[in-house]
Amino acid sequence: MTIETKQATKEIIRNFILDSINIPNLSDDDNLFESGIVNSLFAVQLMTFIEKSFSIEVTMDDLSMDNFESVNATSSFVERKQNHNQ
Amino acid sequence: MISLLTENQKAHYEEFKEFIKANVEPYASKWDYNQEMPDDFISLLAKSGYLGSNIPTEFGGKGWDFVTFGLLNEAVGRGISSLTDLLTIQAMVSMTLLKWGSKEQKDRWLNPLAKGEIIGAFALTEPNVGSAIQNLETSFKKKGNNYILNGRKRWTSYGEKADLFLVFGKDEDKSMACLLPKDSPGLEISPIKNMMGFRAAHMAQLNFHDIEIPESNIVGKPGFALSHVASIGLHYGRISTSCSASGLLRACFEESVIYSSQRKIGKKLVGDEGMIRTLIARMGTDLHAASLLCYSACKAEDEHTSNVYEKVQMAKYFTSRAVVRAASDAVQIQGANGCHESSPAARYYRDSKIMEIIEGTTQIHERMLGKTFVEKAAKLIKAKI
Repeated sequence: MTIETKQATKEIIRNFILDSINIPNLSDDDNLFESGIVNSLFAVQLMTFIEKSFSIEVTMDDLSMDNFESVNATSSFVERKQNHNQ
Repeated sequence: MISLLTENQKAHYEEFKEFIKANVEPYASKWDYNQEMPDDFISLLAKSGYLGSNIPTEFGGKGWDFVTFGLLNEAVGRGISSLTDLLTIQAMVSMTLLKWGSKEQKDRWLNPLAKGEIIGAFALTEPNVGSAIQNLETSFKKKGNNYILNGRKRWTSYGEKADLFLVFGKDEDKSMACLLPKDSPGLEISPIKNMMGFRAAHMAQLNFHDIEIPESNIVGKPGFALSHVASIGLHYGRISTSCSASGLLRACFEESVIYSSQRKIGKKLVGDEGMIRTLIARMGTDLHAASLLCYSACKAEDEHTSNVYEKVQMAKYFTSRAVVRAASDAVQIQGANGCHESSPAARYYRDSKIMEIIEGTTQIHERMLGKTFVEKAAKLIKAKI
């Protein structure tokens, strides 16, 4: 994944989060769940969004907050899944 | 709504309606009265593939799209709500396993679920815990490679008939879910009779006494059972319930129109009265809106769009409230006749209220949708400032 592609992935994820919840800004390392920014339903929405947007499937083995806790974490997870699928 | 369907979906819908007309409608009142969904009819349903309609063909299901699944639920809902409850819980367990089950769990359980050889049940609600599922009292305690399950579940649809339970609880602060076969030592199943509605849905209370759960029966991962596992199950439950409520709404509408065009008040037909037409106008318009919302929700599921949860919640919220109004009006149109069990309107009235309770109450939907709409509106307003 090129640097440009990584940035694009982050932007897509960041925009989805910002479009979905009412916060003024979001740093790429902000912890979404610990800070209470989002609820549990949003976790499933975010999962569905990245599955659709990046043509990946989130499975039981991927269930770890480390994969979804922030924009950076989610972006890295997407990158790993895409590399794995190639 | 029909005009939005593909030819294949239309053909399936006609097949479903014919099946219900022949095999359900003549017996629905009897099943409701006896509080019994006969085993031979469940076998017929299974043989038709309707219990695995949305499970992929690789696991023995029909692999139909969710619009077709919605049409099936609508058609069945027209016949009797207790039966759609069976489709609901079968889909909740199957689709949850499909998403979060291990390979071994999928290989073992999905095929018999798809073929209707076994019935699944979703054991979430407890005597002391309804909507606030984060407060579950059912406990999982780690013991070697196993977990020990203790606790109680209540209002478990088809709990009396189920062969496999998807049970939710907690290990300290971590939410847990597991598969529990019916023959597990320590599982006690007590039927609950005399429900107001869904009387043939074989409701049960489950008691768990020191049941050993092998780690291989845990679904998902500890800590994710409520946020991810239950959420997926409830999502599919809402799709099924929305469409079921839409089918019940159609039943209320059709029953009211037929009654109004036959029953006379003096020399006039009931349907000639403006006040009755007002009720039917509202019912017919609600029916059309419900159909479109259900179609939109099912289509979003087929397209796997990220707003699918919101669309499904809207469909569930609207249809369950609309059918309560419609069933009340259907009884009102029939007067005393509608208050007696010889009229299906009485059953529709009792069943309709349950729609507002199951898979998230009306108030829970208002909280979720209200939050979504307010946050979206707030962002739009900020963008304009």
